[in-house]
Amino acid sequence: MAYRITDKCNGCGACSRLCPADAITGNKNALHVIVADRCIECGACGRICPAAAVNDPFGISCAMVKRSLWERPQFDRMTCMSCRICIDACPVHCLGLSDVSTPGDPHGRPYMANERACIGCGFCVRECPVEAITMAVSQ
Amino acid sequence: MNEISSKVEETRMNFGYMGKILIADLSAREIREETIPDHVYEQYLSGMGLAACILYDRIPAGADPLGPENIIGFVSGLLTGTGSLFAGRWMVVGKSPLTGGWGEANCGGSFSPAIKRCGYDGIFFTGISEKPAYLYVNNGVAELRDASHLWGRDAVESEAMLIAETSANSRIAVIGPAGERLSLISGICNDRGRMAARSGLGAVMGAKRLKAVVLDGKKRIDVHNRAEIKRLSQICNRWVQFQPPIFAGPVTAYVGALMRILPVQMAMDGMVYKMLLKKWGTGAMNQMSVEMGDAPVRNWQGSNVDWGIKKSLSVNPDAIRRYEKVKYHCYACPLGCGGICVTKGKYGETHKPEYETVLSLGGLCMNADIDSIFHLNETLNRAGMDTISAGSTVAFAIECYEAGVLTKKDTDGLELTWGNSEAIVALIEKMIRREGIGDILADGSKVAARKIGKKAEASAMHAGGQELPMHDGRNDPGYNVHYSVEAAPGRHTVGAQMYYEMFQLWKVAKGLPRVKPLYFKGRKYVANEEKAVTAALCSKFMNIVNCAGLCLFGVFLGAKRTPTFSWLNAATGWSKTPEEYLDIGARIQTLKQAFNIKHGIDPRSFRPGDRVTGKPAQTEGANRGRSADMGKLITDYYRQFGWDPETGRPTEESIDRLRL
Repeated sequence: MAYRITDKCNGCGACSRLCPADAITGNKNALHVIVADRCIECGACGRICPAAAVNDPFGISCAMVKRSLWERPQFDRMTCMSCRICIDACPVHCLGLSDVSTPGDPHGRPYMANERACIGCGFCVRECPVEAITMAVSQ
Repeated sequence: MNEISSKVEETRMNFGYMGKILIADLSAREIREETIPDHVYEQYLSGMGLAACILYDRIPAGADPLGPENIIGFVSGLLTGTGSLFAGRWMVVGKSPLTGGWGEANCGGSFSPAIKRCGYDGIFFTGISEKPAYLYVNNGVAELRDASHLWGRDAVESEAMLIAETSANSRIAVIGPAGERLSLISGICNDRGRMAARSGLGAVMGAKRLKAVVLDGKKRIDVHNRAEIKRLSQICNRWVQFQPPIFAGPVTAYVGALMRILPVQMAMDGMVYKMLLKKWGTGAMNQMSVEMGDAPVRNWQGSNVDWGIKKSLSVNPDAIRRYEKVKYHCYACPLGCGGICVTKGKYGETHKPEYETVLSLGGLCMNADIDSIFHLNETLNRAGMDTISAGSTVAFAIECYEAGVLTKKDTDGLELTWGNSEAIVALIEKMIRREGIGDILADGSKVAARKIGKKAEASAMHAGGQELPMHDGRNDPGYNVHYSVEAAPGRHTVGAQMYYEMFQLWKVAKGLPRVKPLYFKGRKYVANEEKAVTAALCSKFMNIVNCAGLCLFGVFLGAKRTPTFSWLNAATGWSKTPEEYLDIGARIQTLKQAFNIKHGIDPRSFRPGDRVTGKPAQTEGANRGRSADMGKLITDYYRQFGWDPETGRPTEESIDRLRL
């Protein structure tokens, strides 16, 4: 199962620049192709495509969303157990783990280390076992 | 996005495992993928079971552990990356140069999910590279790269250099100078000094001139029922996070003393152990174990009488915790027993020394200098040398020196007396550099004893060549059973009577022996059949745990609180019963035993020396007068698997029954 690019593609290359798995190939101004074996189904190509040329694995066309309106992870420190699963799940490695303790809390906690890199895939939310992460548009 | 992902997962076939392995032939510089049939996972799960299957088939009988025919494998667990807690362990497997048989080492950190994110359940290496090399897997592309510039550098330094030249997100398993110099007690590091230390597998990497395995993958790990896994994980996490305030560190010693004095013992509940781990890490037991008789002292000759509360005060849990700047969690761990510590000296920072490290470099050598222990912890981690084996070998050397078997001339002028921390530090640095006496000791106490000759062999405390961990089988004879019967001998992470109490397997599987909540200590030393039954159950269960990639401390919580079998079913979509999983554990145990038989190992040769088994029994201290009939315990254990009770060889019948 993978995302697919339709012939509506205008070859702008926005998707291939963003794809964290290097799964999209194609020349400038030519139809781009998603290599199914490499696609991790993060959906970033669909959100960035200005021509609505990307279909999800069910054939539904993805709508472009302005990047500043992409939802990004928000952490609930009280629920978080510092297990690092979210950091590992992130395909663009935009999350970090604090390496110093705070008064009353000896554990390092995850935080958004590179918001510009975040593609809003929600993998961190999907994999967090204790629902300590929610997705929301950053204020 | 989450709903879409769930629907996609429902249409997939392989859940939990990736269905592929990567094999690199270092001699031919060829790398290939291999698809593993589903039935192999059904019969052997993943992780260690998959590795046993591959190594048994592919390493020819009599292969030199340091030769091209040996295979070294890095395997992840079936539950790694599925959302199951405690599932961050990776394992290194191969033919051990230390024991000559099955070799395995287990480690936490962040390397386990990286194997699966690259799309594999395991990565295996055969052959020998002409020049130092490392494997780099990035986004589905695997290549062997030159590592000449890293050869000779320590593990932490090499990791930093590899991150700089590959990717900031690379996860790295790397050897240090000890592995490069083929020290038989060397291991493999990840995450700045966490070690897969046992079985001497660092030397196998060194012999293959394989400096590191560098992984940067992004594959998704699909599971059958993520919602169920999360539900189970949340229940488990509630147990983990329950943490009432507990006493101060130095009080642990008095708790241990009380446990020593009382004629009765309470069955251990893993929740108690968990609370200690969560507060202090494994160092919680530093003093308590000595007082209750669990920790060997003065190369297994001493006791709490020699290493009393005052002497061991410097390594009490609070003393260690004072150095901690932040807790360290392995991947998927809600507990966080590790820590990053700020230290004096040239390194500045180190992983918190584990109980095994503190006791092997401390009480076993009568060394109370905490700064030297912190320094050696980091020195050994960077060198990639096993702290258990290194400490035990130093204790062996000190005993030889004190008995006149080694002289000052032999030790290059070092005054190797009990507790001489400066000499201990100097000796270990010599071992890492293989310099003078250090060259003799760098391969562990068994090899050193053979080289030294005279009466040295009586001072070498090992099982089948592997130095013994810091758990005294005279206190819990279950340890001695597992030191003797496991395919990788001399390891404390498989079973003991206390482990069976904590696993609480009878709560989820039918017909298993229950543990009395309170019993007289003398019962521990009665060599009845129930001891063999529970020991065999520990072996079977820990095989499942190592196939799943779970942490021992997680499963200590009890089979209901840490739902191993339910997680496995939810991840894979299987509907196996706990009894069926335990049968898989038995199959893997028999396969590992068959591996040793294939390679000419006599299982009876793994039995540790008489001193360790209490023959004669100690005359003072916590284990005064304690010993058990090891012969009976071992033959009864072999019977549990249908092996020949006298030789330990799997019989035709047992092989047929397990469909091997």
